[in-house]
Amino acid sequence: MELFTPDFGLVFWMFIAFILLFLVLAKWGWPVIIKSMESRANTIDQGVEDARKAKEQLDNARNEAKKYVEEAQAKQAEMLREAAKMKTEIIEQAKHEASEAARREMEAAKLSIEQARKEAELQFRNEVGKFSIDIAEKMVRNQMKSDDAQKQLVDKLLDEIEKN
Amino acid sequence: MSKRLSILMFLLAILVATPFRGYAEGGDGHAEEENLDVKEIIFEHLGDGYGWEVPFAHAYRIPLPVIVKAEDGKWFCFSSSSLTKVVEHDGKMHAEPVVKTISRDGKDYSFVIAHISSHKNKVVQLFNLNAAQTDSVMKVASDIKAQGPVKGGWPVIDGYVFVDGKYYREYRPLDISITKNVAALFISTAIVLIIVMSLVRFYRRRGLKAPRKGMGFMELLVSFVYEGTIKATLGENAKKFAPYLLTCFFFILIMNLLGLIVIFPGGANLTGNIAITLVLAVMTFIMTNVFGTKHYWKEIFWPDVPLWLKCPLPIMQFIEIFGMFTKPAALCVRLFANMMGGHMIVITLTLLIFIFAVFGSAVAGATTVVSILFSLFMLALDVLVSFIQAYVFTTLSTIFIGMAIERGDHAHAKEHAGTEEGEEAMKAAEAQKELLAKEAAAIDLKQ
Repeated sequence: MELFTPDFGLVFWMFIAFILLFLVLAKWGWPVIIKSMESRANTIDQGVEDARKAKEQLDNARNEAKKYVEEAQAKQAEMLREAAKMKTEIIEQAKHEASEAARREMEAAKLSIEQARKEAELQFRNEVGKFSIDIAEKMVRNQMKSDDAQKQLVDKLLDEIEKN
Repeated sequence: MSKRLSILMFLLAILVATPFRGYAEGGDGHAEEENLDVKEIIFEHLGDGYGWEVPFAHAYRIPLPVIVKAEDGKWFCFSSSSLTKVVEHDGKMHAEPVVKTISRDGKDYSFVIAHISSHKNKVVQLFNLNAAQTDSVMKVASDIKAQGPVKGGWPVIDGYVFVDGKYYREYRPLDISITKNVAALFISTAIVLIIVMSLVRFYRRRGLKAPRKGMGFMELLVSFVYEGTIKATLGENAKKFAPYLLTCFFFILIMNLLGLIVIFPGGANLTGNIAITLVLAVMTFIMTNVFGTKHYWKEIFWPDVPLWLKCPLPIMQFIEIFGMFTKPAALCVRLFANMMGGHMIVITLTLLIFIFAVFGSAVAGATTVVSILFSLFMLALDVLVSFIQAYVFTTLSTIFIGMAIERGDHAHAKEHAGTEEGEEAMKAAEAQKELLAKEAAAIDLKQ
């Protein structure tokens, strides 16, 4: 059968054509196509990965920012609370100090008043003594106006000394 | 939709029936034309030729170079148009063979396309017979003729060719003519080259941009074959064998599709020619055996079977070596038979119209519609088959190569049998082997 016997000419040319086609395509054709397809696939994969990472980073950044804001808010609240505390403390202290100062003043005042009183007392006593001496002097002077009286007294005193 | 379809069918029926009726009436007077030589026509269409038919003018051929080596070792190259002449016969044009005589160094070399010869439709060199030889040949011929009517008027006698009322001694020269098939082969090669190179150029120019439309489809095919078959089967060896397998796939695909186009530059039944598929199968055979590993050769010459199967009588070795050749042979025959079968069915369906022409116009008209519809269906199916066969050839080649380059993990696992790891590896190897076998079986079933 003609159909089942391979024709030499066709086999010959087929061999040449196929080998040439194979060599040309193996050198300049398929490697380029496969490499391009693979590098594109890799690029796409990389892109997807990058996008995922970027999103992750964005989410992270957002979370971080939120965290910072929250932290700041907490700090602010803390600070406010502290300030309030400090304020009350200061006021308290001031009050305390004021009362202390007042007390001290009062004490000082008391002390000076006391001193003044004592001085006044002393002075008064001195005055009173002086007065009484004066009065006594006057009275004595009055009593001793007569020489009798003076002699009596001297006698009396001399008696007393003799008794002893 | 269905209404439009039926109108279309009706128009189609009229269209194909009308010119045919003219032909049937015109041909009524010629008994010769009604007795169609179906076999002759089918084989003419399936076979090769020295010229390429011009569309719609059967007698005229596009001339192609004929390259032959004469009996005394001299090469001759001439146009195929000098081997035929167009003559008018009963109002129709026919191509008749002509003897081409070339004088060189004082010697005449005559060539002709043989018809009544054992080398039918091939170029043969003619040698004149002397009177005694002529007489003896004529006697043999007339003896055969006496036994009954002979097709073509004169019998075929081995070693002789009948041309223009005379027998000549014939010599079939070494023939590397650029025949219709060879020309179609070159065209296919060029098309594959252009397609692939344009894709390469696209990548070179556009870098990482994805091709669209036609190029995108090409890329789809490449990645379908490469990612789906080659990479899946060969793994890290994919890059090494991809050029061969991809070249095979696209070459076969283009040849298949080109064969389905009826007119120039198609119409050559390339992959339905055993020479083409033979070369392709031989290539796969070479690839398989050149890159075969130690394990592959061990599986052939010392397979893992009971000793009595391989030792005194090399039964397994015989089977394995036989298998080495049957695998590519199956590749060769599968592609050839599928493509030739498809072509043959379409031609036969078309010929039915002319066969039924003898029953009159009504029958012929009905046959025409049915034939055309079936032919259309078959051609559509052939487009699918073209693709499937190219894919099957590539897939099977990949599997054969994959089996040949197997590093022998299976045998390696056996050494470690008993340990859990070894058993697991063995199971995995078995599973892989089964998968490959199943894949091959599924592909065979598809046909």
